[in-house]
Amino acid sequence: MNAAEPDPKTRGWWTSIFSDIHFWVPVAVLMGGLLLLRFIR
Amino acid sequence: MSPAETPQFATAIQNVLRSKQLQLLGILSGFAAGAWLGAAEAPTKLVSIGISPMVISLVMVMGVFLARWTLPALILGTSSVRADVRRAPHLIIWALLAGCLWAVANTLTIFAIRDIGLTIAFPLWNSNSLLGILWGFLFFNELRQAGWRRWTGVLGGALVMCAGAALLAVASSTSAPSAHSLRGVWAALGAGILWGTMYIPYRKAYLTGMNPLSFVTFFSFGELGMMSMLSVSSMGLNPLWQELLSARSVVFWLMLGGFVWVIGDVFQQYAAKYVGISRGIPLSNSNQLWGLLWGILVFGELHGRSSSVYVEVIGGSLLMMLGVAAIAFSSATGQEQTRWKEAAVRESDRYRVATDFVEARMDGRQVCGEAKPSRNRLDWLLVVAATSVFVIFAATARVPKMTLHWGPATLLTAVLFLFLVICGLSLWRITRFN
Repeated sequence: MNAAEPDPKTRGWWTSIFSDIHFWVPVAVLMGGLLLLRFIR
Repeated sequence: MSPAETPQFATAIQNVLRSKQLQLLGILSGFAAGAWLGAAEAPTKLVSIGISPMVISLVMVMGVFLARWTLPALILGTSSVRADVRRAPHLIIWALLAGCLWAVANTLTIFAIRDIGLTIAFPLWNSNSLLGILWGFLFFNELRQAGWRRWTGVLGGALVMCAGAALLAVASSTSAPSAHSLRGVWAALGAGILWGTMYIPYRKAYLTGMNPLSFVTFFSFGELGMMSMLSVSSMGLNPLWQELLSARSVVFWLMLGGFVWVIGDVFQQYAAKYVGISRGIPLSNSNQLWGLLWGILVFGELHGRSSSVYVEVIGGSLLMMLGVAAIAFSSATGQEQTRWKEAAVRESDRYRVATDFVEARMDGRQVCGEAKPSRNRLDWLLVVAATSVFVIFAATARVPKMTLHWGPATLLTAVLFLFLVICGLSLWRITRFN
């Protein structure tokens, strides 16, 4: 591990979520869905 | 002592047997999910035309929210939910996110049906199973090292089910498409993408050890919150309230739909947990078949239609059953399950969830020293309060004046309860709902 990298054990779970690509895929899809709904209505 | 008599060998054999048992349990849960999710449409058919689709959707979601605090609360009390949250607090966000995705997708389907009809809309959003396979492969190591036979079974089965769904949708279609066809296609595709992506949080939760019943709790909060926001922003608070008041005599039937849906969703969650999303989603997508059975046999929906319609129904049903069978017989091999475990280790490292806890939960058992699920006064209070709301609305519900075929209705209800008893008992016996 790079010395400049923060130790994963010290990161909060919010940081773990926000740095997780798996989180951003559903968020992006949700945003897209809301935009689509707005466009359709 | 021969190698076959060593304790290590016996443990390895036990692990293999346990793994096969859980796979079968996941497949059974997928079948039960399809039957219950399909039956959830039945009570809504009792509601006469004239109520806004947004209100129908909102009341169903209210039913889902309340139903969470009835039967599931008796299985897993609030103390177990709190314990799950203490171990993996990040999963609240995932469950809320999944609930929001469901609500937006469901609203999009209303517009899709209005603009292009069920014929085109259903196969488009049913493509969610293909997206589920993609996410499962990309993010959760599903179907890795599965071999071409299992790939063919799962992907081929999902495609055959899509073709069957298309035929069934053609047969059950009654309305002609409107002028806004492109808009409707976008809405249906959007719903498919949202529903397919909703399974990322599902799988994420189970790879980190969350109990499906805990997940459903927070999921229902996300679902109700997003659906309320969409309804208010679309109709305005006062008109929405007026429409809810005018629909109070049918609220019970819609909430009953939500109740049935929750049971189906709980089984779907167990399917996603034990066979993964690439197999769990297509299996629970067999709900269309059950929905059609209720429509034809109980509500006489295709009565008097041409013989070609019946050919489409039989052909579509056979294709769906063929697809379901192909997926059911493509359970994960030992090598693939090793890759699932690698994904689970990655998740427990990232979110700092104890590895032994994750391993135990993936194996459908409790970790050593974990308190057994119990019910306290708060649980009983919640169960009584939620059940009372159902009873109050049932007492004021108007029985619709329509012809129902009670024989098939009784038979289908009996099949539902058979699934509930067999799958529920199997889950209890093998995993104690862990």
